[in-house]
Amino acid sequence: MPGFRSAYPVLAVLALLVLAPMAGLLGVSGLATTDSGLGSLWQSQYIRRVLFFSVWQASLSTLLSIGFALLVARAFARRGDFPLRGLLLRLFGLPLVVPAVVVVMGVVSVYGSNGWIPLGRALYGLNGILIAHVFFNLPLAVRLLLPVWQSIPDHHWQLGDQLGMGQWQQWKYLEWPALRESLPGVGLLVFMLCLTSFAVVLTLGGGPRSTTLEVAIYQSLRFDFNPSQAVVLALLQLTLCVLVAWISSRFHRLPNVEITVSTLPVRKRSSNLFINTGIIMLAALFVGMPLLAMLVDALNGPLRQVLSSIELWHSAGFSLMVGLSAASLSIVAGWALLHTSTDLATSSQNKRAGLIELAGSIVYVVPPLVIGTGLFVLIAPWLNVFDWALPIVILVNAMMGLPFVIRTLGPAMRQSKMRYNHLCDSLALSGWNRFKFVDWPILRKPLGLSAALVAALAMGDLGVIALFGTPDTTTLPLLLYQQLSAYRIPQAAVTAAFLLLSCLLVFWMLETGIGGKSRVKH
Amino acid sequence: MLSIERLAFCYPRGKKKQTDSMLFDLQAKPGEVLSLIGPSGSGKSTLLGLIAGFHQPTSGIIQVAGREIQSLEPAERPVTIVFQEHNLFPHLDVFTNVALGVNPSLKLDAQQHAGINQTLDDLGLGDFGKSMPAELSGGQRQRVAIARALIRKHQILLLDEPFAALGPALRQEMIELLKAIVIEQQMIALLVSHQPSDALLASENTAFISKGRVISLLPTEQLLTESPLAEVNDYLGKS
Repeated sequence: MPGFRSAYPVLAVLALLVLAPMAGLLGVSGLATTDSGLGSLWQSQYIRRVLFFSVWQASLSTLLSIGFALLVARAFARRGDFPLRGLLLRLFGLPLVVPAVVVVMGVVSVYGSNGWIPLGRALYGLNGILIAHVFFNLPLAVRLLLPVWQSIPDHHWQLGDQLGMGQWQQWKYLEWPALRESLPGVGLLVFMLCLTSFAVVLTLGGGPRSTTLEVAIYQSLRFDFNPSQAVVLALLQLTLCVLVAWISSRFHRLPNVEITVSTLPVRKRSSNLFINTGIIMLAALFVGMPLLAMLVDALNGPLRQVLSSIELWHSAGFSLMVGLSAASLSIVAGWALLHTSTDLATSSQNKRAGLIELAGSIVYVVPPLVIGTGLFVLIAPWLNVFDWALPIVILVNAMMGLPFVIRTLGPAMRQSKMRYNHLCDSLALSGWNRFKFVDWPILRKPLGLSAALVAALAMGDLGVIALFGTPDTTTLPLLLYQQLSAYRIPQAAVTAAFLLLSCLLVFWMLETGIGGKSRVKH
Repeated sequence: MLSIERLAFCYPRGKKKQTDSMLFDLQAKPGEVLSLIGPSGSGKSTLLGLIAGFHQPTSGIIQVAGREIQSLEPAERPVTIVFQEHNLFPHLDVFTNVALGVNPSLKLDAQQHAGINQTLDDLGLGDFGKSMPAELSGGQRQRVAIARALIRKHQILLLDEPFAALGPALRQEMIELLKAIVIEQQMIALLVSHQPSDALLASENTAFISKGRVISLLPTEQLLTESPLAEVNDYLGKS
């Protein structure tokens, strides 16, 4: 079957992109052991401190995000009739496509020295990192946990009411047993995201006391010119990520993000109604305020000056190129992997199918910055790495998008094959006719969503471009970071708003352009 | 005439089925609706899959009007199949779903257009050509699938529990419709069903399949009331 072969070139490229940088890292670490005392680097106070802070900030961010998310998701579940519920839940999906560096700008607009709730210098360091991480992960955790509440059967609530259960008993006997299964998975996902967070820590932390492994790798390569130290840090980061991924695999799967507008049959009491409404409003303010403040700052900022600058449009061009190229590459690679995995799944080789899809999600375990560092040390002795900035940034971003493509497109592709393969065979529908009349109408919606997600994420990424970017190859997030670092906050606000709108515009154009209007009704 | 001789099949390793090794012998004549009944996992749907070409037999012969078809591709066989569900593409309207059975590239001439409309009319679907599948009832959707099967003018019609989701009155109506079409067009229909009452209504003869073999082929009433076989009586809940 031809589908069996389409994954092989993609798997080979993925293997090369992961193994070659690993070999590069290990090679340098081997050399460094004899030449410049890598062993002593392992003992370094600085590296220990960075390691401790990485785990500490990720743990605190996770605890805060999950703790608040439990309150908010519970309030949402109990207030199914809340007037703006649908809109707010959509707002909670926004952090997925908002670039991290834009969020940082928003956080500065709200909590910075001239912000709405000024924290002054206290913003920079752990506080700012926690605020930004909770901004990203509270909505994600709410969207992951809310379906758990909705999975509790109506009869259980009715039984609870009949037995006269109070709030605490409902939590203990109905809600907690359902949540217990999903909580470790959601918690570990949030922990991993915070552990590998780069842009937030770089811009809001970054000082000697609040540096994570990822930021330290970047600083070692770009400022200290110390590849040996970068290698040790990258290997530490890789070990941590593998460990977290291994622990995650021991737990149940994540719940599906499928939010309905149904309301729980919980008897409404006026005090609870007030509390739940308050919690929802506070959460909405927390998530909405940074974006709103940033937009207000942008409108009050030097709009004409920034929008007429060549560097902005130059960077926008590069960002667009990175976004669209990464999305195209990711879709082609994802399609090839899924074509094979669905063929295997339909012939009952589920294990092999699962392994192929897992290989596509390798960036969950090997962070992009580690891959970037490996490529950096691998090619630096032979070529000018900065000449290769764009291809590398595109390639790594395409890899980062692959898990989204697999998760979004995979189920639709599998369902299409399982349902219609025999029917198409019996109707002699194959090749172009099958693509035109069956596959394209069914798959264009998830395809559009995948392309939109990958393009928006790649356009807003400040990971690999920070490592490889030069004044000639600056993307919008890098330009924004440079403005923030130079304390050109008014200009940064305009650039952040421009980047946000660009990402949303590209997202919308790809989602509706490719996805079209679905005619599929089941 | 449909003739199946020593048709052997084995599921590949890893695909867990109750019956791993199967061997079928069966005959049916034009104008006949032959029902296939038996326990779940006994091989009824697998037999239809072998005739349709979805599975490759390890040995044996399938003949239709004297022509061996077991090595042909699914689309080359004089066979059309109606499944229990997912017979229609949800994003295409009724007319297009039927038209795909005439020409997969949908390049139709005026005569083909008229033929499709006529078939839809014959099945009481004349007003639904522009409707989407989601707008139809379960019975109407199965009528569309049968319309497509008819317009393909293939000699063998395979029906894999097509009426399972319908209520008793609609089932009866659909079975009567099926019988009339099969007799009128001198087709051979194999109807897989879990309901002995469907077999009684649809077929003069019924085959009982157990553990990958046709263990009894008798007049339906006789099979359901007088069979001495323990497997049949177990299935009917008589033991």
